[in-house]
Amino acid sequence: MAEPVEVLERRIDALRAAVRRSVVAGDTARARALRAELRAAERAWDEAIANLAEATAPKPEPVATRAVPARPVTPLLPVREQVHDALTLLTVPAAPKLIADVHEAFFGTGGLAAGRLTHLRRDERRSYETARRARPYYLCSALTAEYLTPARGLFAVSTWPLERRIVGPLSPRVHFLTAAVRIAERAARLPRVSAAVTRLLWRFATNIPGAAAPGQLPATVDTRVIIEAAGDELEVHIEADRAQRAAAADRARRQLDDVAQLFGHTLDRVRGTKTA
Amino acid sequence: MTSMNTAERLAAIRGGAKPKRHNARTIAALTRNPGCARRAVLDCAGIDKQRLAAYVDFPARFGQSQFAIARGNAFEAQVKADGAAELLTLLRERLGLSIPEVAYDDLASVTGREQESPEVRYARTRTLLIRAATGAGDAGTLFDHPLLRINVAGQPVYLEPDLIAFQAGGRFHVVEIKSFAIVDGQADAGKVSSAAIQSAVYVLAMRELLAEAGFDPEIVSHDVVLVCPRDFSNRPTAVLVDVRKQLAVLRRQLGRMTRIDELLAALPPDLSFDLAPDAAGVPTRDPAAIVTALRAIDARYTPDCLAVCELAYFCRHEARGCTAALGPATREALGGIDRVETALALAHDVLPPAEEQAEAAALLQAAARLRAEALAGAPA
Repeated sequence: MAEPVEVLERRIDALRAAVRRSVVAGDTARARALRAELRAAERAWDEAIANLAEATAPKPEPVATRAVPARPVTPLLPVREQVHDALTLLTVPAAPKLIADVHEAFFGTGGLAAGRLTHLRRDERRSYETARRARPYYLCSALTAEYLTPARGLFAVSTWPLERRIVGPLSPRVHFLTAAVRIAERAARLPRVSAAVTRLLWRFATNIPGAAAPGQLPATVDTRVIIEAAGDELEVHIEADRAQRAAAADRARRQLDDVAQLFGHTLDRVRGTKTA
Repeated sequence: MTSMNTAERLAAIRGGAKPKRHNARTIAALTRNPGCARRAVLDCAGIDKQRLAAYVDFPARFGQSQFAIARGNAFEAQVKADGAAELLTLLRERLGLSIPEVAYDDLASVTGREQESPEVRYARTRTLLIRAATGAGDAGTLFDHPLLRINVAGQPVYLEPDLIAFQAGGRFHVVEIKSFAIVDGQADAGKVSSAAIQSAVYVLAMRELLAEAGFDPEIVSHDVVLVCPRDFSNRPTAVLVDVRKQLAVLRRQLGRMTRIDELLAALPPDLSFDLAPDAAGVPTRDPAAIVTALRAIDARYTPDCLAVCELAYFCRHEARGCTAALGPATREALGGIDRVETALALAHDVLPPAEEQAEAAALLQAAARLRAEALAGAPA
């Protein structure tokens, strides 16, 4: 766990020396590039330290946390649980930005920054590989239907059926519409709709035909209209999308091992070949 | 065979460094000054001109501002987010795209940018675009990050993708997302024209791709969809821009560009811009040697270069005292007079004009007289 931090420290030292050398050599372009690298490394170090603090903080079994309600400072949920909550609400693979927005709108506190999810998938994969099924769920990748490689920037939950974790050409739209329905349903059950929820609803409403009237104000957005409009468009795409995803899922079951079914094919051996 | 030799030669000129990729911006810039051999050779060899310019002490105060890049990326990400939801809305409103057409294919690298050769990515783009052109059932609608190829000075160059190609009814459009605002239906003319020229590069490259596969190149529309923030908001809006004129200009300029083989043949055989970095990446080559190498290739400096070429400050310094460096208007008016000193001497009548300079000399003397009168006559 501490090893990457040490590697980073060595790297930062080496970069500092390199910056000094290139400044002495008068190579300003290179010095600038090196400085940028150095800053990135320092940021990574900060992050690693933060993660370290998070990891070494007492993290008992989930049952135990819930059993001890009276704590002076309410501990934030680990990032993975926050992501899991948002994804469970959405029911479809989603990008970090949407996950963060949904979390902020419905689970409050806004503690989940999209940038914090960068290493999450890699950590989850590592954890899965060391002790399979030790956790009730893993945050994994959505897979592209074409190559069964990890879809860029999309998170999914390992307990979802494989079909749902696959992204075909029509899926981005289907995901968008499904997410709209789920978010609107959830918002309709809230006693009071916060500004963050309104903002989120409005973002969906303006991009679904018939979900928002021209000239309508964001505050008057109607969850029922969104659900109806999104449902209407979903009907157009859903069958074709489902067929494409089912075909890809069959392929994935035949060709991929456990880990690859969750985290995607890496295409090491078959680079550039077409599987479809 | 020749092209292999050319590639080897270009690699030797580049030295050990990795070649810099072209993009529509650099190709658009290339066509602005097609007569400049220095730019043609350096660009074809994929040399990092920015670094080179800094190394010979003429750092370019040129390039996109970090803020502009960040703003552009954020806007593009917003428009493309959630399966390009905002873009789809715009296309449906403006171009009447039908509801079932929402397929979104990301043609960006499958295995990570570094590992994948442009040839593989180009082949993938080709497969998908051709499938779309044949109009099969699952033809696809939006294609993000297609990798295109275009011939520049006899060499194929790959274009770093920065666009969406969109197909509906067997016709393709290029979608260019830019972050300058369209306020009240008006936008900065300079920015629109540079966006139009960049889009024209993409249109041309897509037409080449489809024509090679036996399709009518005209199925790529000359109307480009330009997506920009509307008014002072962050909401996108789309307009169609006709790039026929830019296409014609581009085609002519690319056709006119001297073939790179011919340019290379005239250069010293040991020419190289290798900075010879040591193990830590610090260049060890003598800057004076780089300057000598640069001088070996003819440049054609014009004031326009300052806006588009990283080496412009070097070339301007080199061209100091030449009348051509003052811009095409001056160059034309002073035909036959190369140096500024000659022009001044002729104006002050201290140098008898040669026969072909007589006309320009008369103009210069008249101008000098007018200037003297204007300065002498105190304001009334």
